[in-house]
Amino acid sequence: MIEVLPQALGLILTPQGLMVLSFGTMLGIVLGALPGIGSTVAVAMILPFTLTMDQAPAILLLLAIYAGSVYGGSISAILINTPGTPQSAATCLDGFPMAQRGEAGKALGWSTIASVVGGLVSAVVLIFAAPQLAAFALNFGPIETFALILLGLTCIVSVSEGSLVKGLIAGMIGLFLSSVGGDPITGEARFTFGEFQLIAGFNLLAVVIGVFALSEVLIRATKPGDDGATLISFQGIILPKLAEWKGRLKNLAKSVLIGNGIGILPGTGAATAAFISYAEARRSAPTRANFGKGEPDGLIASESANNAVTGGALVPTMALGIPGDAITAVMLATLTLHGVTPGVRLMEDNPVLMAAIFSGFFVINLMLLPLGMMVSKVAAPLLRLREAYMLVVITLLCTLGVYFVRGNPFDLLVMALAGIIGFLLRRQGYPMAPLVIGMVLGPTLEISLRQGLIITDGSFAAFFSGHPIALLLAIAALGMLSLPFIRMWRTRAA
Amino acid sequence: MLTRLFSERALIALILLLIASALTYSTFGLEFADLGGAFDPTFFPRIILIAWMALAALNLIVDLRAGTGWDGQGILRVGIMAVATVIYMIFLTTLGFFFSSVILSVLFLLLLGVRNPLPIAAVSLGVPGAIVALFNHMLTMPLPTSPMFWWI
Repeated sequence: MIEVLPQALGLILTPQGLMVLSFGTMLGIVLGALPGIGSTVAVAMILPFTLTMDQAPAILLLLAIYAGSVYGGSISAILINTPGTPQSAATCLDGFPMAQRGEAGKALGWSTIASVVGGLVSAVVLIFAAPQLAAFALNFGPIETFALILLGLTCIVSVSEGSLVKGLIAGMIGLFLSSVGGDPITGEARFTFGEFQLIAGFNLLAVVIGVFALSEVLIRATKPGDDGATLISFQGIILPKLAEWKGRLKNLAKSVLIGNGIGILPGTGAATAAFISYAEARRSAPTRANFGKGEPDGLIASESANNAVTGGALVPTMALGIPGDAITAVMLATLTLHGVTPGVRLMEDNPVLMAAIFSGFFVINLMLLPLGMMVSKVAAPLLRLREAYMLVVITLLCTLGVYFVRGNPFDLLVMALAGIIGFLLRRQGYPMAPLVIGMVLGPTLEISLRQGLIITDGSFAAFFSGHPIALLLAIAALGMLSLPFIRMWRTRAA
Repeated sequence: MLTRLFSERALIALILLLIASALTYSTFGLEFADLGGAFDPTFFPRIILIAWMALAALNLIVDLRAGTGWDGQGILRVGIMAVATVIYMIFLTTLGFFFSSVILSVLFLLLLGVRNPLPIAAVSLGVPGAIVALFNHMLTMPLPTSPMFWWI
């Protein structure tokens, strides 16, 4: 990777490259700040605008939106006590009390520095860990790939908020949807019921945008009437002085480590990282008594951890083609649209592009500091925007996103139906992230399972007898699956 | 039993079980070249559908025991919005992006409680107009146009 770095930097450090990075970061901050949009919808909304761009700037723009939106979520969390993204939910706990006592600028200062540090470290982790992981996985055959995807699928357990059974059902629906269309081995059409449009299968992005963005519009429409939030007085970000960091650096370092570690694990996501990091800081910080009353350590913990997840989450996504959560699943789909297939061969086949993406991700996180300070002042008044206008804009932009991918009206209908079904399911507590993860991993799972069975003459037991890596991965998958049951058992025993 | 089944949660659970059962049943009627085992195109989906069916049955039992009622808040409004969205998607390519989007935006804004005609006009004309100007005329990525006015 080091040897191609000059070429990669040549792609980024051009006026166009820098403009893409700064514009994407600014837009990401604004979209992340607007409650209800979130990182997943933000990336999906911007996707059609990237279709005419070259590979590197298009992917960097989407990465900038991703990183910017995770930081942007803290603006609304602090100023109106409503997290712009789920990742910033823990930020409300101490950010809003600080804002209430007139320290909104300072609260955003703490969150900006923490986010930048978290993001930068995660970019370094991405740069070093992703190529190593990909190199390790390069010699995987179908059996190891099957076990790996199985392990990736276990993240459904951790993204199933509320009900594990409902999460697993959503995962099965996703896996089934991925099998609709031409069979990957024989080419025969499955579950098309005479509809020729289905021979190519369901468009992943149409389903993703439907179940996340359109269903969100419908869910929000059940309780409208919001005339815009009351905004706390905010004159701009005030960065904390160096002396104020005394005694807080340990908390920052620990939170960044938690964020990175959790980010690499499939399925846990930034919201979980922020809460775990917050809980750890609350347990161990000397200022623990002030937590929940506007304590900067609480802000540092949640914001550094949620931004530290971004790079970590991209490690399995880029290196193995396994998305850890909904946003990385969307990133995976958008990369594929731009002709980049994440997976073990990605680094081998596109070294310059990958070096540009990784170093670009570092630059994006570096830009968060000046751009965050600049854009937060502009984004704050937008929080007063009436929700009805936002819902209209989301619907129209999502329509564009799906239309431009293939120009196929059938995809629009799929998106609308996915939105309605997503709305009905989400109302009853079915999480949608497992559905998307199932749909993304389904094709690889199917092909590796069937190829493996053909190799072993139909013996599933042989999958693990002569394949130690597959066995280890399968044990890890079993361990992940049994975690909630162990937790339940321990809770009952206590 | 029937009163418990008549809750929104249990009904959705039942529908999911019925869909999984019907799809599983359909895999036995599909006609493919008789290759057997892992070569069979229904091999993988059948495993998934059986797992879905088992989980849906378990889920139905749980939801029947929970026996929650109906939450009708805003459901009529959302129902109209959902139907309008489907109609919008169907007519988008024939009516053109601008016209269909203006109609959808006005309907959404009214349903969401916006009554002031000025913001309704500004949002419903401004947002689709800006999108058309950007994509059709600046990015040269043409959106579906109206049969009446070729430029929008």
